[in-house]
Amino acid sequence: MVLALPQDGLWYKDAVIYQVHVRAFHDSNGDGIGDFLGLAQKLDYVQDLGVTALWLMPFFPSPLRDDGYDISDYQSVHPHYGTLDEFKLFLNAAHERGIRVIIEMVLNHTSDQHPWFQESRSSPSNPRRGWYVWSDTDTRYRGARIIFIDTELSNWAWDPVSKAYYWHRFFSHQPDLNYDNPAVREEMWNMMKFWLDMGIDGFRLDAVPYLVERDGTNCENLPETHAVIKDYRARIDQQFPGRMLLAEANQWPADLRPYFGDGDEFQMAFHFPLMPRMFMGLKLEDRKPITEILQQTPAIPENCQWCLFLRNHDELTLEMVTDMERDYMYDEYAHDKSMRLNLGIRRRLAPLLDNDRRRIELMNGMLMSLPGTPIIYYGDEIGMGDNVKLGDRNGVRTPMQWNGGWNGGFSVADPESLYSPLLLNPVYGFQAVNVQSQKRFEHSLFSWTKHLINVRKSMPVFGRGSIEFLYPANHRVLAYVRQSGKDSILVVNNLSSSAQAVELDLRRYKGNILIEMFGRNIFPRVGDLPYLLTMGPYQFYWFRLRKI
Amino acid sequence: MAEESILTDDFLRELINVGEVDILIGVPTYNDAETVGQVLQALRAGLLQYFPRLRAVIINADGGSKDATQDLVRAASISDLQHGSDLRALRTLHCISTQYPGGASKGTALHTILAAADLLRATGCAIISADSANFQPEWVESLLRPVCHDNFDLVTPVYRRHKFDGLLVRNLLYPMTRAIYSRRIREPYPAEFAFSGRLAGYFLGQDIWSQDVGRAGAEFYLTISTIAGGFRLAQSFLGTRPHSERAAPDLVPAMRMTAGVLFWSMEQNFSAWSASMGSQPVPTIGPEHEISLEPLRVSRKRLHQMFVRGVAELAPVLKTILSAQTLSELEQAAAVPEEEFCYSNESWVRTVYEFAAAYHKTVISRDHIVQALVPLYRGRAHTFLVENRDASADEVESNIETLCLTFERMKPNLLGMWDGGK
Repeated sequence: MVLALPQDGLWYKDAVIYQVHVRAFHDSNGDGIGDFLGLAQKLDYVQDLGVTALWLMPFFPSPLRDDGYDISDYQSVHPHYGTLDEFKLFLNAAHERGIRVIIEMVLNHTSDQHPWFQESRSSPSNPRRGWYVWSDTDTRYRGARIIFIDTELSNWAWDPVSKAYYWHRFFSHQPDLNYDNPAVREEMWNMMKFWLDMGIDGFRLDAVPYLVERDGTNCENLPETHAVIKDYRARIDQQFPGRMLLAEANQWPADLRPYFGDGDEFQMAFHFPLMPRMFMGLKLEDRKPITEILQQTPAIPENCQWCLFLRNHDELTLEMVTDMERDYMYDEYAHDKSMRLNLGIRRRLAPLLDNDRRRIELMNGMLMSLPGTPIIYYGDEIGMGDNVKLGDRNGVRTPMQWNGGWNGGFSVADPESLYSPLLLNPVYGFQAVNVQSQKRFEHSLFSWTKHLINVRKSMPVFGRGSIEFLYPANHRVLAYVRQSGKDSILVVNNLSSSAQAVELDLRRYKGNILIEMFGRNIFPRVGDLPYLLTMGPYQFYWFRLRKI
Repeated sequence: MAEESILTDDFLRELINVGEVDILIGVPTYNDAETVGQVLQALRAGLLQYFPRLRAVIINADGGSKDATQDLVRAASISDLQHGSDLRALRTLHCISTQYPGGASKGTALHTILAAADLLRATGCAIISADSANFQPEWVESLLRPVCHDNFDLVTPVYRRHKFDGLLVRNLLYPMTRAIYSRRIREPYPAEFAFSGRLAGYFLGQDIWSQDVGRAGAEFYLTISTIAGGFRLAQSFLGTRPHSERAAPDLVPAMRMTAGVLFWSMEQNFSAWSASMGSQPVPTIGPEHEISLEPLRVSRKRLHQMFVRGVAELAPVLKTILSAQTLSELEQAAAVPEEEFCYSNESWVRTVYEFAAAYHKTVISRDHIVQALVPLYRGRAHTFLVENRDASADEVESNIETLCLTFERMKPNLLGMWDGGK
């Protein structure tokens, strides 16, 4: 039996999510690969950090040609990571600690090793032939862009077995499922139901804009795709109330908005365009990129929420920026061309920010205070580095660094047996950056991040409140008020590398006392005059506005 | 009592909001609402196109406009405060405006802009005239790139001018500055120019701002200071010289701002100019000169009349300034009919040098000396117009070059007079 958490239909709005690879977190059996028992052993750490939900990368059986996003069996656990029973044990352990679990569901495609595809390619008359998108030519759907431009030349691949082309939006070993086929839609629901029955709290649905193809379109965000999602959501609400769907749709805000529907499609979606603009704003020392993208972000239904992140398992995607912005980002954050991948930058947070503690704190401060649910990528809470020499995106998927001992405490296996080499360099290597050393100090990045999360969690306004930008004349300062009911929080971020003076127009809060939320110190009462603040380089304040 | 600051509290508050910048463009104005909008559009476009990543600010130093000049400047900002801000822009672009005290004065405007540049630690600065009707976005690059990328300290413009345009520059400013300071700067008193933060700080520290030169002619003295201070100079070809639609300023103030400043500068920088002879070219991006020849009707008769009248009326004054030989030549020239009138290169150069020496020795009021040059300059302008009436572009340029060489050749005469007799 799997324990269930108390049902709060909007739990995801208050969540702080921690994204983790089972493979990368902790190895319990000494085979060099992280597993569910290892993850379960480290749940105390996750709980101590203060996060309230885990988002697990794909852990299903897979040939692992795309880090598990090429699934060959949706109803099992990859032997590397354990068994279904061990997954259930982990899930229970997480729920016991009040931690919810979100898992991946790759709807758009399977591995070419999936039995469905093997059957489908075997003969045009096979009953599963229509489960994938086949064609005699490679000329259909020409309006669809190629996503993995570094590796794929076409969205069609020739299958020598069945002597026909099959459609794939990602790698050619990931054939797209055919969602025009009712049997596919039903079977994928069965796959989702399998995990929902087990007690998982939500799905992160991968690559959702691409489910359906139509000639004469770019095959993204089509109404038919939305219809598929709405159908799944309705079934979930009916049979599994309180479970959450999170959309992975790397789109502009206006194109993303329909994925929330009328509150009847996804509950959450990643805000992809915001993330690069936070980095851009920091480097430019100018709030313009951030406020502009948020001004363009449409309102979403009351029961919906944006998901915000600084870094994740993929490259820092630059698809949702202009050419000029992309060039700027490349020059500023990936001057070494080996750091670039597809239309993005394959680096972790700390190296991106030159390991500058002040900038790391500021970016996390914004992540936790802008409207949305924040996601922390495993290891970023201790400032882990990356290894661009590992190819593809593997450089940001190296083993978690627990201590300065054997294999960084990740595994007792021989180092040669690890699924990935550990970071060894003197700046980011496991002997310099690890959990054990950081837990010893009150002012370590880990301890600071933990404090940040706790302060955020102390005020639901961060997860549920509205936002109003203040637009002080000093463009290096990003200031906003988060408000929900009687709770108001003033957030002031100095994006500049130098000290700044800023005058804030707080007249509508006249009479309020400002209480700084980290030190709980009292600042002067708001009066008629502009409220003057002086801020150190990359400093940020969270003030609770209280009328006493 | 503390010295009064040129920066008002409001302006200082705006500068605080702007913060450190890479590029600062100053636009002095006085009732320029008709043209300043167009200039600002071109400046914005130029900054976005050629310097999109650099931190920039446009600062308007206004002399007390009664029209909408300042509002137009502020509205040109690119920021998230403005509705529908420019999405092509990576950054915020502040356009701020301040009214400096004391009434319209280009020198005070420059002083204000230099002070702002110094406070904002601008790397590259430019001054752009608000009435440059045909200012082009490319000019932003032409002026600022040599400063921001090639470490030049001052970039003056080279224009395509009509052969009868810029008579004062061609007959006095360019050739005499070239001869005195040994650098061939075509527009030593530019309306548009760029300069480094280094030079801005140096010039700001000059003790000129409470003097006449600090109120009028400071731009010209900036050029001279750049040479005298050993800074790196360049010229950049812009295109056709923007014509102001406004009436030309009175020649007396113009002479004060040019000849007056030049004479005054020679006092300050004697050691810098007295040891050098001849002249050196200045690195130039684009052609060093271009002359257009379209037909242009110019009245010479009035120039001649004013010369003749000036020589007669100012005879007592001229007698204290000029040598007997020079004065005699001028009186003879004034006596002949207009069609036979000629004010030769040698005679003109000797005249100007004797005025410079007289200014140095303060034989009479220095301002009277400068004013007395005005009618003589009109005579020289008459000769230039006649000489080049049918000349081709090359011939005009050749005539200018001959005058320059005359100035250079006769420089020892000036040195001889400097501490000697008339």
